[in-house]
Amino acid sequence: MISLAGVVTASALLIALAGCAADAPVSVDSTPVAGGTLTYATGFGEPTCLDPHVGGNMPQALVGTNVLESLFSQDESGAIVPWLASGATVSEDGLTVDVALNEGISFTDGTPFDADAVVANITHMKDPNTASSTAILALGKVTSVEAVDPLTARFTLSEPDSALQESLAQTWLAMESPAGLARGMDANCEAPIGTGPFVFSEWVKQDHVTLTRNEAYNSAPAGAAHSGPAYLDTIEWRFIPDTATRFAALQSGQVDVIDEMQPDNVVAAASSDQFDVLTGALPGASIRLELNSGYAPFDDERVRKAFIASADVNPGIESLFFGTVDRSYSVLSTSTPYGASFEDDYAIDTDKANTLLDEAGWTSRDSDGTRMKDGERLVVDFPISTNQSIPAEQSLFEQIQATTKEVGFDVELHPLDLSSWYAALGSWDFDVTSAIYTKNSPDVLRILYHSDNIIPAPSGYHPNNAHVSIPELDALLTEAGETSDAAVREKDYAAAQKLLADGAYVLPLYDHLQKIGYSTTVQGLTLLPTLQIPYFGDTWVQG
Amino acid sequence: MTLLEPEVESDAGRPADGRRGHAGSGHGSARGRVLGVAQWVALGVIGVLLVAAVLPGLLAPGDPLAIDPAQAFLSPRWGHPFGTDESGRDIYTRVVHGAAPSLVIGVAATGIGIALALVLGLAAALGGRVVDFGVSRFLEVLFAFPGLLLALLVITVYGPGVVTSTIAVGLATAPGYARIIRSQARAVAGAPYVEAAVVLGRSRARILGRHILPNALLPVFVLVTLGIGQAIVWAAALSYLGLGAEPPTAEWGAMLFAGKNYLATAWWMTFFPGLAIVVAAAATTVLGRALQKRGAR
Repeated sequence: MISLAGVVTASALLIALAGCAADAPVSVDSTPVAGGTLTYATGFGEPTCLDPHVGGNMPQALVGTNVLESLFSQDESGAIVPWLASGATVSEDGLTVDVALNEGISFTDGTPFDADAVVANITHMKDPNTASSTAILALGKVTSVEAVDPLTARFTLSEPDSALQESLAQTWLAMESPAGLARGMDANCEAPIGTGPFVFSEWVKQDHVTLTRNEAYNSAPAGAAHSGPAYLDTIEWRFIPDTATRFAALQSGQVDVIDEMQPDNVVAAASSDQFDVLTGALPGASIRLELNSGYAPFDDERVRKAFIASADVNPGIESLFFGTVDRSYSVLSTSTPYGASFEDDYAIDTDKANTLLDEAGWTSRDSDGTRMKDGERLVVDFPISTNQSIPAEQSLFEQIQATTKEVGFDVELHPLDLSSWYAALGSWDFDVTSAIYTKNSPDVLRILYHSDNIIPAPSGYHPNNAHVSIPELDALLTEAGETSDAAVREKDYAAAQKLLADGAYVLPLYDHLQKIGYSTTVQGLTLLPTLQIPYFGDTWVQG
Repeated sequence: MTLLEPEVESDAGRPADGRRGHAGSGHGSARGRVLGVAQWVALGVIGVLLVAAVLPGLLAPGDPLAIDPAQAFLSPRWGHPFGTDESGRDIYTRVVHGAAPSLVIGVAATGIGIALALVLGLAAALGGRVVDFGVSRFLEVLFAFPGLLLALLVITVYGPGVVTSTIAVGLATAPGYARIIRSQARAVAGAPYVEAAVVLGRSRARILGRHILPNALLPVFVLVTLGIGQAIVWAAALSYLGLGAEPPTAEWGAMLFAGKNYLATAWWMTFFPGLAIVVAAAATTVLGRALQKRGAR
């Protein structure tokens, strides 16, 4: 029960940093101070395993990015830059990729980082026993990896993969110590070992994870302000699921940094001297409603179109989000290349919605005004993950419920904790849902809407929640994923998005923003562009 | 209010009149003194709540679910005396329409608790030593758990929802009532008038129905009035935790939960549903106290 967990966590003792709330704002050019503890409170929930190869979700990536590093990184423009790898050479046919590794990097347990380590990691991610969903999908075209020499790992592919380096840049495909992996899943889940500026030193379940500085750190990502060990001694990573409590903890000085802020709190923090807000559009899919087209009533395209034509989103985006987000008309986030916009396909037209429902046979209405067909009510089951949807978003869903009611839909909202929600999705026990999917490439469309991904990954999660199965779309997404010709990719992704809009499978709402609030005593905090995750290697806390 | 007061009065009066001499006290003259200003106010509040529960349209003709995003987060003003919430719904309308689910949960849960307690309590008091031992130990085990925890346990097993949370609160209150009924029934069973009835050859059913039950129930009846207030608070607590009414149902606990996200910017979203819970619980408690005093005299 997530609500119970919320109460427990909210009442858990929070360690305050001495005197940090009362400090006056400091200028940015002050010199870094080594030492100190930073307390981070996350609203994304507590991972069940700290190894992001297992499953592979946002909570794992957030806490893991400062411990586990990737072969590649991305710059602000989305271009691939070296990190643990120095570069990659792709063969003529696109089926062999040689990744050159940087020399002199070691995992924090002393194991050297080399080609054998890369092989061990890729093997671990592809092993069905690892129960990966994100990494295994990203590596779908990789058939094998071998160590050509200590500093070259050769990836052999079944088809060309234009998104391979982008995939490898994500924390879910981060490099972990082979000796750590060899300890077995349970031990590795407790404290995976990486090359990053921090080390997992303690995990008190339902309370906090402690990260301690890696004194031997020498692999800072491109764009970092300094190389060498981090300034902070420790990071205390706390779990406060309740948005209002999290912001109150920041305001009172109990924590220094929070994520997943409510829009009204963003406005309040941005206008205050004591707090600042860091935002970045998460790459991948926009926040959107997925209509389960595999089962009644949304297996009928007319019913889907009627739902979308009656779900009025814009007034809610304006009033609930205080101008912090813009409406999206695309399944791709604005920070993902090739995002199209189909504003006309999402226009509100209740007359059209009523006509479509009449045509689809939902002609009579019961005493509540809900449409009926053959004795069945037009009920739309909507499970909501209270971990993934902030309260403002849940209010937006209530408004969609109210506007679609006018044409005769009975939308039933069910707020669920993360595991119950995954269970509902896994058994296709829903008609509409909102699922976030972060991926730093337009190839996210293949993950989310290729018919192959109706079949669940080893973790049990099937990313194609809309149950989209269109051979023409599959062909476009496959071609776009294989070609290295930018013009072909652009044409294919545009056509794919048009197919999705025409078929009314998805209702895009707005971009998923990373909203990090922090006390102005915290200096040198940045977001790594790959997944817009906070990087603490350059961060220090003003005494 | 005027509509209800004779009914409540006669309810309170009837058991005393019907039990000539058995309880051993006369109440006739206490009537005027028991109902002070506070009690009259409590009666008035309960009257208003009952009207809100039965005919909410009379007090608030609007639709509690009607949204108007352009009117979101309005502070209390003319037209929206309690302000509006994040979707522009009128909070006054929602508080009025929220009376029915909140009161129904409170009353139904107490009813379930009393019914269960009657069975357990009477079985323990009149069922012989073995039954008494079994039931009493069982009640002691239940007592080891705080009531709300017991309710949470039931919800964890049977899933959230209005029906389960009502049953859960009812089950959680049952042990307390059962104990009181047991000791009261035991005391009454040993009373001279019951012995007299036995000597006169009355049937067991008649003794139970005419003599033991009414007298064992008198103190419980007073407790029920107090218990409804507690049940309302518990039901609201469960809805607040997301285990009762589902959004965006107009229910006080659920409204509190939705409002707490905006505590810093829109205090009225939590204040008014919170006030409704406090007032409803206080009114039933004040009335229960008055009845308790009256019974003790």
